[in-house]
Amino acid sequence: MHELHHPPTPVYWGMTAQELTQDVVQRHASPGRQFWAIAGVLAGLFALGVIGFILLLTQHGVDNRREWGYFATAFAYIFVTAQSAVLVSVALRMAKAHWRRPLARISEMFAAVGLFNFLLLIPLLWVLPPTDGRRSIWFDWPGRSPHLWDTIAMGTLVVLGLAILYFASIPDRAAVRDQAGSEPSTKWRGNVQQWIVLNRGLAVLGGFYFMLLIVVHMLISVDFAMSLIPGWKDSIFPAFHALNGLQSGVALILVTMFILRQTTGLRKYLEVDQFWGLSKLLLAISLLWFYFWWSGFFVYWYGRTPAEQGVLRYIMFETYWVPFFLAFVMCFALPFFILMWNIVRKTTWGPALAGAIVLVGTFFNVLRYYVPAFAVEELSLHSLEHIPTANLPSFIDILVVIGALSGAVLTYMLAARVFPIMSMWELREGQILQRVRKLMKIEVKVLAKPE
Amino acid sequence: MTTNRISHKWGMVVDVDRCTGCQSCVVACQAENNIPINTEDVFRQRRAIQWIHVERYWEGEFPDVRARFIPVFCQHCENAPCEPVCPVYATYHNNQGMNVQVYNRCVGTRYCANNCTYNVRFFNYWEPVWPESLRNQLNPDVSMRSRGIMEKCSFNVQRLQKAQRVVEGQQGERLTDEKLKEGNYLPACVQACPTNALVFGDFLDPDSQVSHLKEEHLDGHGRGYKMLEHVGTEPNVIYLKKVDIHAKEVVKGHA
Amino acid sequence: MQERVKLTDAQINKDLLRSMEENPLWYWLLVGALGLAVLVAFAAVAYMFNRGLGVTGLNRPVMWGFFITNFVFWIGISHAGVMLSAILRLVQAEWRRPATRAAEVLTVFSLMTAMTMPLIHAGRPWRVMYWVFPLDWARGVYPNVRSALVWDPSAVFTYLTSSILFVFIALIPDIAVARDRTTGWKHVLYSVLALGWRGSVRQWKLQLIAGILLSAVILPIFVSVHSIVSWDFAAAVSVEGWHSTVFAPYFVIGAVHSGVSAVVTVMIILRSMFKWQDYIRLEHLDALAKLLIVVATTWFFFFVLEFLFGLYSLEGPEIRLREMQVFEMPWAAFFVAFLVCSYFIPVPMWLFRSVRRSIPLMIFTTVLVNVGMWLERFIIIVPGLARKQGLTFTWGGYTPSAVEIIIVFATFCMVSMLVLLFAKVFPLIPIGDAKEGVVLEDEIKIGKVKVPAIMRED
Repeated sequence: MHELHHPPTPVYWGMTAQELTQDVVQRHASPGRQFWAIAGVLAGLFALGVIGFILLLTQHGVDNRREWGYFATAFAYIFVTAQSAVLVSVALRMAKAHWRRPLARISEMFAAVGLFNFLLLIPLLWVLPPTDGRRSIWFDWPGRSPHLWDTIAMGTLVVLGLAILYFASIPDRAAVRDQAGSEPSTKWRGNVQQWIVLNRGLAVLGGFYFMLLIVVHMLISVDFAMSLIPGWKDSIFPAFHALNGLQSGVALILVTMFILRQTTGLRKYLEVDQFWGLSKLLLAISLLWFYFWWSGFFVYWYGRTPAEQGVLRYIMFETYWVPFFLAFVMCFALPFFILMWNIVRKTTWGPALAGAIVLVGTFFNVLRYYVPAFAVEELSLHSLEHIPTANLPSFIDILVVIGALSGAVLTYMLAARVFPIMSMWELREGQILQRVRKLMKIEVKVLAKPE
Repeated sequence: MTTNRISHKWGMVVDVDRCTGCQSCVVACQAENNIPINTEDVFRQRRAIQWIHVERYWEGEFPDVRARFIPVFCQHCENAPCEPVCPVYATYHNNQGMNVQVYNRCVGTRYCANNCTYNVRFFNYWEPVWPESLRNQLNPDVSMRSRGIMEKCSFNVQRLQKAQRVVEGQQGERLTDEKLKEGNYLPACVQACPTNALVFGDFLDPDSQVSHLKEEHLDGHGRGYKMLEHVGTEPNVIYLKKVDIHAKEVVKGHA
Repeated sequence: MQERVKLTDAQINKDLLRSMEENPLWYWLLVGALGLAVLVAFAAVAYMFNRGLGVTGLNRPVMWGFFITNFVFWIGISHAGVMLSAILRLVQAEWRRPATRAAEVLTVFSLMTAMTMPLIHAGRPWRVMYWVFPLDWARGVYPNVRSALVWDPSAVFTYLTSSILFVFIALIPDIAVARDRTTGWKHVLYSVLALGWRGSVRQWKLQLIAGILLSAVILPIFVSVHSIVSWDFAAAVSVEGWHSTVFAPYFVIGAVHSGVSAVVTVMIILRSMFKWQDYIRLEHLDALAKLLIVVATTWFFFFVLEFLFGLYSLEGPEIRLREMQVFEMPWAAFFVAFLVCSYFIPVPMWLFRSVRRSIPLMIFTTVLVNVGMWLERFIIIVPGLARKQGLTFTWGGYTPSAVEIIIVFATFCMVSMLVLLFAKVFPLIPIGDAKEGVVLEDEIKIGKVKVPAIMRED
């Protein structure tokens, strides 16, 4: 058991704090030609997406809701994956998990993608029908409440995420400036008072981000999916949506870490320890994915009311059974069978593979809500009386989805030019708080737990 | 059970327009099925057992108040919510479209009553007792239910069984409306109803009165509806709406 | 930070076996009083069997009441055991150590108590075997597997069996300690139960593996038990207030909320009863309270979902159901009490470190949580039935009878009595675990301060 469970000691422990800072700053200063090449390709794809969007707008207009299903899917997918990815760092920092340190910034930087995500929300506000005469969580609230409140909530979330990213990177950006020899940072001096404020501030911001993210998940999932399908009254759906978000957030970080390991020289920071830790999280969430899905499905299936049967047939077993099947396999079955083995969990490729599968699965899971939801015409009924036919993607839809995803990745890459991708101060803190000691004949890790 | 029995789907049509709320169906049911006396005490405890009961609703504002009556009894749902939840199969669907209760199996979890959409399952909270004077009134064809078990409308299954023995077993003929009437096989409540608001029959028999009524009134072109249809229980009881002159005026006014 | 005393093995043995070796008068008086209450409840149950369920306050349409509420409540408490033992063992939370045994024992006894509730609540309790076990060989009618009421006993019995195993596996080394310190018939008894434990490396390894395996196996059972209990309600399509998809996770997390709170209550009581201040330390309460903040907030989120989507469709009966819960007395009072007790008082208080580390405040908040959680089940179960569907003529209410109140009260006495009796026979804080904790404790010097640290051999 011991050999199996003993993680290798991270290499960066051998460095001094100074060497560590220097190393990260150097990498940050020179991204390499490859970086710009990829960014160029992504920019091209994004331009295609913009063309697709213009075509969508001019050919169909905002009143033809059905045609916007895939655009909504792209928006929701980026929201579900990227905005939840920020939460991973927030949650692990709250839990004081030492192994989070190298991946903290990788996770927080997805807050920048939130900006891009917010842009995608704007056209959807014109597509989303008013709530009059249909079910909605806004009940009798006046006028266009989902339009107004969803925008406010989403905007606040994006600002909060950016604030976390900004504050968490203050010491590191100061270090970058210091190393570059330019004007030394005047505000950040690294005194005790500032560290206390930073830590407390991050905890508070993180707590708010956590709660607001769940709320936004609820608003988006209900206003843009559930309330557009008559007869769909599913109290676990917002929670399931949020859980799927957390799952794909973890998956996204796993994939990002793997890519960073392969393409940049960050191997010594992104160790098996990080993959192992996240893979256990991903395994647990994948199991929960099944549990939440099952809780919702089971009550509907056992209940057998006409409204419930209509919804099940529409988004699960008849019209959109293919995306559902793919989502089920790729969000639950495959990651479960890959990650149930500790030998696989203790590699870098195993968790990354599972993460990639989950990312694709999440896309189909999001698709099977938003595309069908946007395709229903009659919203005032209390159950689906006619089940609409499946809305297959057109060429424009494919352009839009690819463009949106490329835009999101491009945003992340540009953010990496502003913020160092390794959270240096957290790495240095980790060096201080961990030791290797001998107990009897074996070496053990000693973790400090400051209270 | 013999294999090639004639198949039936027993059901009822209740014309609410004819119901005066006189409660004679309730009394007939009470007498036929050996239901214990519902004393004032039992009513106060909300534990009265009435396999058929007339629900009374008030409509309108004073002084323009109207009482509405609707007889409610087991709807013998095709898709009965009470059936899958019984842990001991005490309630199940028989091959004649009826939801039947097997008293011997019942352990009294009362889950079926919770899951009954129409609240027409009754639990014996007390041991049933009858006054000495009613000893000879009890029906020998109907079993007594002890305390701790569930009971409900059976469409007078004892009469139907007898009818099937006599008409289908011995005479070899199908149980039609006439045969039911001739042999005194109709449910007690149907017999007792002075306004013929209750019609009993076989939905599989195209010549039966219930089939005619169903054809005439159901599917949106008549007065017919099924109670709480959105739950999807698919009852075997069809209600015919009250014809309300005043209501029509209101509807017209809106239209 | 509280200073930690370096404890020797002998001291640990002596302290933790105190409950078994000393015989104070108050202990037996307490057990006697609790036993008396249980006896009274037995008499009440006998009376109920003799007269029928008419002696309860149940009626039509409220066919389930106090007993089922209490059943759900105790099943909920039983979720503490696995939450603390299995999950915290798997994530290697150091502060779980003193809490695990109490949590597991609470699991076993509350499960046993919970099981009695639906059984005595049956109309013909002498026939429940046909429901609970596949027993009907003679008639060829087996229990109906489509019914949630058949999944219930399957899940509960599986959970009970595995929790007893769980407790026992963890107990073996401690029984061996007891064996070595006793004589006479007690020595014989403990020798048999210790299964020849000598404390060899191989035995420890096997015990460790068994513990981890059982933790992993028991987790799905743990989730399934309360999910199935929730489906008793959620599967009932006709009761609109129950037919909600969020019920399974809502019930499970609620169970964890009340279970962990109950463990904290029990730990504090044991701490003062048997003078275990060195073992159940304030930092343990602190960590448990932090866990409770997260659990309670998740639970509250699910509550909001349940309530919001109850109203979502704006259909008459559902609105009337919520009106009954929120505005009609006495339900309105229960509703407010439930929210305030299980969330709005405890959670804001737990945000303060001084509360998390205060014995009286922690016992106050955790007891409040369980008052609230009992009410939560009550206002889910009864108004749901009382406002079922649109046939308003049959809508009703419910008032519990004295018999029901006595029996429900006695279940609390029964669980307390059983835990106390257990403490007389076995140590309630795992001795082996406590010793391991002492070995793994360490300190790291950073600059001038010493920071408490923990060794990880993973």
